[in-house]
Amino acid sequence: MEGTEIYGRRACQLVKELACAEPGQLTRFNDDLFNQVIKECTVHYSQFYELTRKMQEEGLDVQSARNADHFGMLIHHLSLLRNKRCLMAYVHKRSEVIQNLSWKVGRVLPEEIENKLSDPEKRYFKSHSSALQSYMRGMDGLDLTVDMVPPKDPYIKVRVLDDIGVTAMGDRDTNLARHSIHFLKRSDAEHYMFQGMMEELLG
Amino acid sequence: MANESGFSMEEFESLMATSDVELLKRAWRNEKSAPEILQFQASLVQRSREQIQLMEGTIEEITRNGFDPLIVSVYQMDMDRAQYMLRSYLRTRLQKIEKDMIHISKTDLWNRLSKEEQSFSKRCYENMKSYLDESVLSKLPSGYQSDLKQSNASEEDDMVPESNLETFVFCKSESSIGAIPLDDSADEIVDLVAGDLYVLRYKSIKPFVENGKIDLV
Repeated sequence: MEGTEIYGRRACQLVKELACAEPGQLTRFNDDLFNQVIKECTVHYSQFYELTRKMQEEGLDVQSARNADHFGMLIHHLSLLRNKRCLMAYVHKRSEVIQNLSWKVGRVLPEEIENKLSDPEKRYFKSHSSALQSYMRGMDGLDLTVDMVPPKDPYIKVRVLDDIGVTAMGDRDTNLARHSIHFLKRSDAEHYMFQGMMEELLG
Repeated sequence: MANESGFSMEEFESLMATSDVELLKRAWRNEKSAPEILQFQASLVQRSREQIQLMEGTIEEITRNGFDPLIVSVYQMDMDRAQYMLRSYLRTRLQKIEKDMIHISKTDLWNRLSKEEQSFSKRCYENMKSYLDESVLSKLPSGYQSDLKQSNASEEDDMVPESNLETFVFCKSESSIGAIPLDDSADEIVDLVAGDLYVLRYKSIKPFVENGKIDLV
């Protein structure tokens, strides 16, 4: 750590990055800055121990002595705590976005999102979505990831975005050709909409 | 119409107010607005699920029997709404668990969860713990590695996120409750009149929400 470095500045930058991000969106995991803060913690810790040793060598009681070294130790301790809180806030906030993703995208992450995650985050996404899946299995397969908005009308107007072909819709076959517009039961269409093969026409 | 079936309008309304759909709506609204997780409505959820299944059967049957499509779609809409409410109710609870899993598992809020929710919460915490360990805690010096305490020097768990009970909620009560103290010192009190809408701190009306005297809207 350089002499002019202000303790905790990097951790603060890390948290600011969160604050500036679009809510609900992830930026790439900032490995570089993150590791610098971790390093800063290690330095604080070793300096904390050096001061303890020095006080013990001088025959002072670490708990009760109130000299410059004691307050030095305190500053290192508190700076370390602050850094820890910032680091935890950083990963915890990101974990909330990841939890949200497991509701929205299912079990497999789109590549452009996966690239922004650290390895532990990828593992966390997997384990969290499987926790969610196993809850739904426990509820006799009640799917909680559909029906995210209150239904207005059982039927909706949709435009087909992909050639789906002739499909049984209710009691008759419908030709879901690309660009065709249909009036379908919401529950039938929802499944296609999630896969991006249809879009709802509003208004 | 109500008279023909032998009901007065008031009787009809009070009957509707205690129907499961109405009860579910209430439970759902309370859950949505309360900052903390509320008691799981086990039997209500069970009954609602059975009724939804029954409705599904009815709709299939009347479609097969060639009923007017308009009537079918009214039934369908009714079922979709009930289905949505049930899903949203369960979803809201899971999202609260995601947010406060550690706090919930350490307090008596734990007893408010259903069995399925408890095992979800347990898994959530295991996942979160190993995620935090891997990304941060294992890289910190010893003595600073706890996920609950800031350091070994902390006597209590001082790093557990919990819901903010001081937040304001919209609420309404069906009967007059009388004076409610708004803070611990009881300097300020508010007289809750039946049917009036209030915006109060959740903390001050928490016991009334829990025993069902006040509804959140």
